[in-house]
Amino acid sequence: MRPSALPEGPGGPGGRALHLSGVRLDHRGGDGQPFRVLDIPELSIAAGEHIGLRGPSGSGKTSLLHLIAGLIAPSSGSVSWDGRIVSTLPVAARDRWRRVTIGFVFQDFHLIPELDVAANITLPATFAAWSIGAAGHERAAALARRMGLADLRRRASVLSRGEQQRVAIARALFNRPALILADEPTASLDAAHAQEVAALLTEVASEVDATLICASHDAALLARMGRVIEIGAPAGTASTERAA
Amino acid sequence: MNPFPMVLADLRALRWTALAIVALVALAVAIGVAIGAQERAIRRSSAAAADDFDLLIGAPGSQTQLVMSTIYLQPDALPILDGHLLNTLAKDERVAQVAPIAFGDISRGYAIVGTTAAFAGRWGKLQPSEGRLFAAEGEAVLGADVAYKLGDTIAPSHGVAGHATRPGEVDEEEAGHRHEGLGYTAVGRLPRMGSPWDRAILVPIESVWEVHGLGNGHASEEAGNPFWGKRSETGEGHTPAEARIGLPFEGQRVPGVPAIVVKPRSVAGAYALRAQYRQGGTMAFFPAEVLVTLYRALGDVRNILVVASTLNAVLILAAVILLLVAVASLRQRRYAVLRALGAPRAYVMLVIWLGMALLIAAGCLLGLSLGALAARTVSGLVEAQTGLRLTFALGAQEMLQVLLLFTIGSVISLLPALLSYRSPIVTGLRD
Repeated sequence: MRPSALPEGPGGPGGRALHLSGVRLDHRGGDGQPFRVLDIPELSIAAGEHIGLRGPSGSGKTSLLHLIAGLIAPSSGSVSWDGRIVSTLPVAARDRWRRVTIGFVFQDFHLIPELDVAANITLPATFAAWSIGAAGHERAAALARRMGLADLRRRASVLSRGEQQRVAIARALFNRPALILADEPTASLDAAHAQEVAALLTEVASEVDATLICASHDAALLARMGRVIEIGAPAGTASTERAA
Repeated sequence: MNPFPMVLADLRALRWTALAIVALVALAVAIGVAIGAQERAIRRSSAAAADDFDLLIGAPGSQTQLVMSTIYLQPDALPILDGHLLNTLAKDERVAQVAPIAFGDISRGYAIVGTTAAFAGRWGKLQPSEGRLFAAEGEAVLGADVAYKLGDTIAPSHGVAGHATRPGEVDEEEAGHRHEGLGYTAVGRLPRMGSPWDRAILVPIESVWEVHGLGNGHASEEAGNPFWGKRSETGEGHTPAEARIGLPFEGQRVPGVPAIVVKPRSVAGAYALRAQYRQGGTMAFFPAEVLVTLYRALGDVRNILVVASTLNAVLILAAVILLLVAVASLRQRRYAVLRALGAPRAYVMLVIWLGMALLIAAGCLLGLSLGALAARTVSGLVEAQTGLRLTFALGAQEMLQVLLLFTIGSVISLLPALLSYRSPIVTGLRD
């Protein structure tokens, strides 16, 4: 099956925040033969859009998030943010761009269990500064309140899974990212917590006017997205898009 | 960039492993430090104890044995020198001071040493901390650690060569070999010297001779006023004789002595005396010569121990590093998450390296303390056994050794940090 082009987002070329052009990602299989994971001739996502990525396991949803975040480089093509190609930036510059622009939410939360809620939320700030200052602490407390987390001094290891994901969302928001990438953010949660986290994620993304891209199998979460992009099977890497 | 929150989190996560690493490094450091510092302390203290023994003269035999018996008061049976040699040496222009050293008797486990009052005061260098030096036969001056009080009567017993005594205790051997009816009166106490002589009871050489029925080496003996040890009328204590004590020994018969200590007037005189008394039925030597030989042997032992402890340290360090590499590998996912959240490679590298360096530094510091503690403990045991006070101090050598270990450990710790530096983020996230 021939890979198809992804239509442009509603923002149009002028207002696009994220733009993928001719992006291909090839991996080498266990037999040494290369296979194509992603083939995206064109994809544009406007600032503040909420995008869902849907597709079967192994279809390349996570790879697309990694590619957008600059964790992997495309085999060909480019990823641009606000008109600036970020996929070819040197490692240090890409790290800085990711730190400043992106908030990442993982399926398994990936909190630091030995740190408390406050330290987990403020962790990204310690990558660039020695001290987060009083304003940083206040922001962490405000985010925690917004997430319904009462006790900032509790260790992450003693939190429920729902609480952990809320801390992870607060951590992703701490640096005021313009782009939030969430990889199966509700997959590790029970239905009640999944609903709660899905609502929270979309609400806070709207509140801070951030672009949200969620890779998920969760229909309820995807239903909250403005657009859902279908990512095809790895052998064909067909990609389609439909409005949610 | 502030890596400490993550470093502390990593150390908390490691917990027992971290403690084990610190303990292993501490053990390696402690062994090295204790060996080096102890050997140096033994060397210093033993040399200090031999300070006033410039030249020793004895009957031909083992120089080491003579040094051990005379300076370190380790009891042994020694051949006897002709006592007239004391007078000869006293008249020798090359000799500034001369004193006999006679031993063999004990009281409550303390060695009784017969000598002159001048040598008891180490030729004017020492002032008694209590009382005075002995001035007559039957009087005794106590070493600083001797558990007699001034005025006490000291009952001597015949010591048995090779039999170890415990200072302050009367054992069966001592009780069974008492010189019945004799006793010294404690008249003074010497200040602490940090040598086995702190546990000695110093008495006039004449008294030692007389206890053993050899006379006192003075004319008073021939004049019928021989013995200090007659019981007083009350039957308690003993009546000191009025005879003169100390050099010269003008009696026709001067009993022999196991050792003579000589303070030469000059270096040239010292060498000339040594050469002269190395023949003709005597043995003369500088104790320093014997100590140098002993130190060489001690140094060889130390070198072997140092090599062993260095190998031990290297093995422990290698084990620790392998452990840390394994731990860092297990944590690739955690570090990949940090990178995904925007942490620069340098941050992750610093977190890994700093964590390891802190563990090694903590191990080094703990090792220094443990090494010092071990050395102090051994010093205490040596002092309890010999009376030789070992002044322990951490020297530049130990510090350098620890610094070297820390530096090597820190440099090797870069290995897991570099591995993480090169590791792709996505691989870590997938693991």
